[in-house]
Amino acid sequence: MPRFSAGSYPVALPLVAVAALALSACSGGTSASGSSAGKTLVVDTSFNLKTADPGREFEPTGQIVDKALYETLLSFKGSDVTKPVPGLASSYEQSKDGRTLTLHLRAGAKFADGSAVTADDVVFSLNRVIALKGNPSFLLDGVTVTKTDASTVTLTSKKANPALPFILPNPALGILSAKTVQAHGGSATATDAAEKYLNTTSAGSGPYTLTSFNTNTQVVLTKNPKYTGSDKPTYDKIVIRNVQAPTQKLNVQRGDSQIALDLTSDQVSGLGGGLKVDSGASSDVIFLLLNRNTKVSSTTANAKFAEAVRKGIDYKSLLSLAGTGSVQPAGIIPSTFLGALPASEAAGRDLAGAKAALKASGIAKPSVTLGYASDLTVDGLSLQTLAERVQAQLKEVGITVTLAPAPTTTELDNYRNGKEQLGLWYWGPDYPDPSDYLTFLPGDLVGLRAGWKAGADPTLTALGDKAATTIGDDTRKTLYEQIQTRMNASGPFIPLMQPSRNTVSAASVTGVAYNPVWTIDVAALGAK
Amino acid sequence: MSPRWARSKGTGGEEAGAKDADGVGSGDRLPIGGGSGGGDRLRAGRPTALRPRRLLARHPLARFLLRRTATAALLALGVTLVTFVLTNLVPGDPAAANLGQRAIGDPAIVAQFRHHYGLDKPLPVQYVTYLGNLLHGDLGESQQSHQSVLTDLSTAVPATLELAGAAIVISLIVGVAFGVVAALRRDRLTDQLLRVVSLLGVSVPTFWLALLAFYVFFYRLGWAPGSGRLDPGMTAPPHVTGLYTIDAALAGQWPVFWSAVGHLALPALVLTAYTVGLLTRFTRSAVLEVLNQDYVRAARAKGLPARTVLFQYILRAALVPVITVAGLAFGALLSGTVLVESIFAWPGLGAYAYRSATTLDLPAVMGVGLVVGLVYLTVNLAVDVLYGVIDPRVRVQ
Repeated sequence: MPRFSAGSYPVALPLVAVAALALSACSGGTSASGSSAGKTLVVDTSFNLKTADPGREFEPTGQIVDKALYETLLSFKGSDVTKPVPGLASSYEQSKDGRTLTLHLRAGAKFADGSAVTADDVVFSLNRVIALKGNPSFLLDGVTVTKTDASTVTLTSKKANPALPFILPNPALGILSAKTVQAHGGSATATDAAEKYLNTTSAGSGPYTLTSFNTNTQVVLTKNPKYTGSDKPTYDKIVIRNVQAPTQKLNVQRGDSQIALDLTSDQVSGLGGGLKVDSGASSDVIFLLLNRNTKVSSTTANAKFAEAVRKGIDYKSLLSLAGTGSVQPAGIIPSTFLGALPASEAAGRDLAGAKAALKASGIAKPSVTLGYASDLTVDGLSLQTLAERVQAQLKEVGITVTLAPAPTTTELDNYRNGKEQLGLWYWGPDYPDPSDYLTFLPGDLVGLRAGWKAGADPTLTALGDKAATTIGDDTRKTLYEQIQTRMNASGPFIPLMQPSRNTVSAASVTGVAYNPVWTIDVAALGAK
Repeated sequence: MSPRWARSKGTGGEEAGAKDADGVGSGDRLPIGGGSGGGDRLRAGRPTALRPRRLLARHPLARFLLRRTATAALLALGVTLVTFVLTNLVPGDPAAANLGQRAIGDPAIVAQFRHHYGLDKPLPVQYVTYLGNLLHGDLGESQQSHQSVLTDLSTAVPATLELAGAAIVISLIVGVAFGVVAALRRDRLTDQLLRVVSLLGVSVPTFWLALLAFYVFFYRLGWAPGSGRLDPGMTAPPHVTGLYTIDAALAGQWPVFWSAVGHLALPALVLTAYTVGLLTRFTRSAVLEVLNQDYVRAARAKGLPARTVLFQYILRAALVPVITVAGLAFGALLSGTVLVESIFAWPGLGAYAYRSATTLDLPAVMGVGLVVGLVYLTVNLAVDVLYGVIDPRVRVQ
């Protein structure tokens, strides 16, 4: 049909459309680099964010945001979480019985609206966290907050609470302006309705104020000119964007962002081009649990079988999956915390010993199922990969492991209800203090998930009770080491590893430090 | 292929006509679907004033639209029931998925969470409550974002609509053109080439293409801007439609407009790969079919210019099946943008749906289900109406 030549019409039209779009793409591209140093800082991270309200937030991204918006009574400097430093409180004293903590407020501290930070604001803010019964409420379990005088606040705990100075730096315990919050529906009761307001405007004394907030897209912070802290922020504006890891890498390489928080070891290997990579051990501890409940599995409840598993795992090989920066903790407490066991005490592979222990267990051809969340990655490391590796290693011992992957939402139920025979999970610390790990003891939250009932090990319980109420870092250190040594010998948990955490930053950014509580303090970042 | 309203011209219309002749007005209500009820209640006191309305009710297209809207409402109800049942069948506890490790250990916190989201009530009560709230435009509160699902959707839906809309417009232009050219150049080199291109477009995985495009055009060449809907330093234009390009243009914020267009271009083009392939193939076969029809031969024999024959005869007839495919493709685009949205950090419905599903955020999941259902219903309706616009044979007079 030669007469129906297409002519120039139909072909030209799409070409024009495509060309127009391509052109506009170019014009967009040139204006993308509007973030000149000293002005705007763009941080890419994969969002885990629900709210900016300190009394309600307890998600990693929320911690980054609130750390910049609100000051806490105490804080940590950089990556060091072994020593609390002054925040809104310039000093504190702990009573001998460990039940009373007295904090003296810094003079002259002001909220972003110019009003002074008072003891009343502190009492209101902390009581509000308790009353809201949100995710962070447990931080102040059994704590009563009272005002002693205009510049002194006293926290009284029902039991001795040596961890409290390590808990107070949590951004969820940020101090809000009571007057502002109350004016917008806030109250230190369960009927509080200030969340909406706090997701639009912040009411704190931190180095930044909230400009815009979206749990799906991005959060924009603007420098608080009235900030009274000693270290003034460098950037006028900080944009925290929700971006998946592969895209984060390209963005930071291209200069579209200055910080990428979620790159895996694979993704950072060979990163050059003026980028800085800060790799270190995460404080998330991945562990294996062997259920002690004989109704769930008589095999995993067998102590000799547990020993066979502990000796049969090749920890070094597991570390190779996680890459540079990952470490094997010697106990359940992460290597960077007070009370961590020295690396020399970490378990190693002993195949002959494992086989001997298996024989001693009296179980012929053991077969167990391993439950884990197949869609869960811990610092970029997939639990699926890890589970497969564990399965292969235990096969060499003579143990058949059937993998039972499930979506997190489903598997969490099995785990929390103590129904897993073998389980593969991780524990991210709620606060950087060893007392957070007492939950692994018999009869406590995580202990019960492993079928480790109260009274299963009275010696360990007694040690735990003592550690929870003892004051003094040295004594506490010794006690927590004893607890872990005993848990390693006879407990149902096998700590496998702390994966690596990588922070990638542009060469122009200074002061990057990974902190296990708030990941990164964006207000502390400088520019070259 | 003829839509239902084309066939229903006779019966329903005469019925309504007879009633109107008797002087029974439709009162304050437009008779929906045949108009057998409702009308008797109010005797028309002012027949003249009611005339335009009556005309509207009598117009077959209006009647068709009304009936279809009623059906759509019923279907939407069905969608709510299905999404509600399905989301509640999922094994897993929303409280466990949304509360922290420690909070879940405190029965008081768990009880408060359940009470707050109404999870402590029996399922049928929850459903009725949900429906009741829905009538007031309240889709519930998201457990993830702590805001109303409607607020969440009011930003997520326009983001996806903008992306899918741009993609379908480009696809229609390019796909139809390609299809026509391929048909006219049947079995020649151009045709072979276009067929390969369309085959590639249909078979290449979209997420792979998205990664590749992002790498090449953003990272390597620097032609496209980075992820998101706007440059990081920019603030969204005032919310009117939620489509940044349109809102920015309305507000006269041209830098924002260009930034929005720039960010839209690459993901939209990536999304077109599949639909262009699909539309090329369908257009090609539709045009080929029409080319052999008698009336096309007659038109040519009469000596009409080639362009007239192409646009007035061939394309017009070929467009009916193409519109059907385009409608379906648009629906598929909406639910298929998840991966592209995640790669380009596009804060749309796909990203929202994924996050809601993985955290058992039931109100949000139901909101997404409802929106997608409604979009499909609307698109189907639009496609049916377009048939009449394009093809006089199925047009209602």
